Amino acid sequence: MLAPNRSALFEQLALPLLPSLYSHSFWLCRNHAEAEDIVQETVSKALRAFDSFQTDTNFKAWIFRILRNTFLTSRTAIATARTVFLEDHLDQVEVTDTSPTPEEILLRLDNEAALSEALERLHPQLREVLLLCEVEGLKYKEIAMVLDVPIGTVMSRISRARRTLQAQLGGSL
Amino acid sequence: MQSQHLTHLEISAFIDGELPASDAQTLEQHVATCHECALRVVSAMRLKAASTRVSQNFAVAPPEALSRITAQLRQQTAKETANVTETAKKPARVIHFPLWTWSALAATLLVGVSFLGWQSMHPPSTLSAELLDQHLAVLSSGSAPEVISSDRHTVKPWFQGKLPFSFNLPEVFPVGTVLKGGNLTFVHGQPAALLLFTVGKHQASVFLTQRPLKPHKLTSSGTESGFTIQYADAEELHITAVSDVNPSNLAQLVSALANAQKPR
Repeated sequence: MLAPNRSALFEQLALPLLPSLYSHSFWLCRNHAEAEDIVQETVSKALRAFDSFQTDTNFKAWIFRILRNTFLTSRTAIATARTVFLEDHLDQVEVTDTSPTPEEILLRLDNEAALSEALERLHPQLREVLLLCEVEGLKYKEIAMVLDVPIGTVMSRISRARRTLQAQLGGSL
Repeated sequence: MQSQHLTHLEISAFIDGELPASDAQTLEQHVATCHECALRVVSAMRLKAASTRVSQNFAVAPPEALSRITAQLRQQTAKETANVTETAKKPARVIHFPLWTWSALAATLLVGVSFLGWQSMHPPSTLSAELLDQHLAVLSSGSAPEVISSDRHTVKPWFQGKLPFSFNLPEVFPVGTVLKGGNLTFVHGQPAALLLFTVGKHQASVFLTQRPLKPHKLTSSGTESGFTIQYADAEELHITAVSDVNPSNLAQLVSALANAQKPR
């Protein structure tokens, strides 16, 4: 049970993050109803566990970690895990280097549809780490905490994600 | 870093602001003199900006969903606050009982304790019934022991790894008593080694358990439907024997088993 000021603090910290949580949840499960369920469950869990949150650490990383764990036990994640999802087999994802020039890439970046498609085609594990970095603005250390992986893994996944995007857009960095 | 082109990792970490200051400075110096790497860095920055924009537009939370989640969040935090406030404000209630209630309570306790005492002196017959059932089941022709042997060197090792305890068998059994075999069983919720004997023309079932099966400390024997049930403690083990044989013959068997458990 939280003290009133802790409840207020939780509300103050969590409310601004709801759009981000929803957005990330949707990226993970690709279903609006399920995305909402996952965020609601995440908020409930986070509130119950808020006593364990250390105020000198990043709340966003903390609650995103809860969101991710909640997603991993969701219908979609369990169903997808039967095929191949979040955990590894990444080595099998080849980055094809078709080598147009960086200038060509710059031109293609204006094509949002192509980029959107490239993001869609990205391996979920690479897309997830890229979203946490670029959209959510988390630092590598915080992403490592969310994903429970070493910081070096975060670094290499982000780099790999970008190279894959470039390759899918027809170029390479 | 200055003589070679930048790696993908370096560019990625640089545009994310994750390089240590000294490395970032070295990288900037290299980029200032290397057109190819400069273009790659710009390309990476443009890609980052574009993918961020596209990702944000792809998964925008519907306002109604956000409203529901917000409402749920506020409701839960309000509930938490209310619970805390209520607990804090609620004074400890002091209930004054009249004297007669204390007397009634004391009487109830007395009756309860007496009942428990009586129960331990007169245990429910479920245990002896269970022992007898197991013994009768063994007597039926359809249930051969899992290990059939009169050799103690065969029977004892068979139990190894199947039970959370070990036991010894005597070198010599009383005259007329023959070990027929053994079974693994459960009696009164605990694992037991069931040893099967013939004593003369009678059958005897002996249960070896870690916890006593006897109803209370003073009990050493009992009867159930004409069968004798005898109990003995032997070091860490407890022996319970069931048979319709002469009680003295059964006692000799129990005693032999108990002696075998003593350290040599």
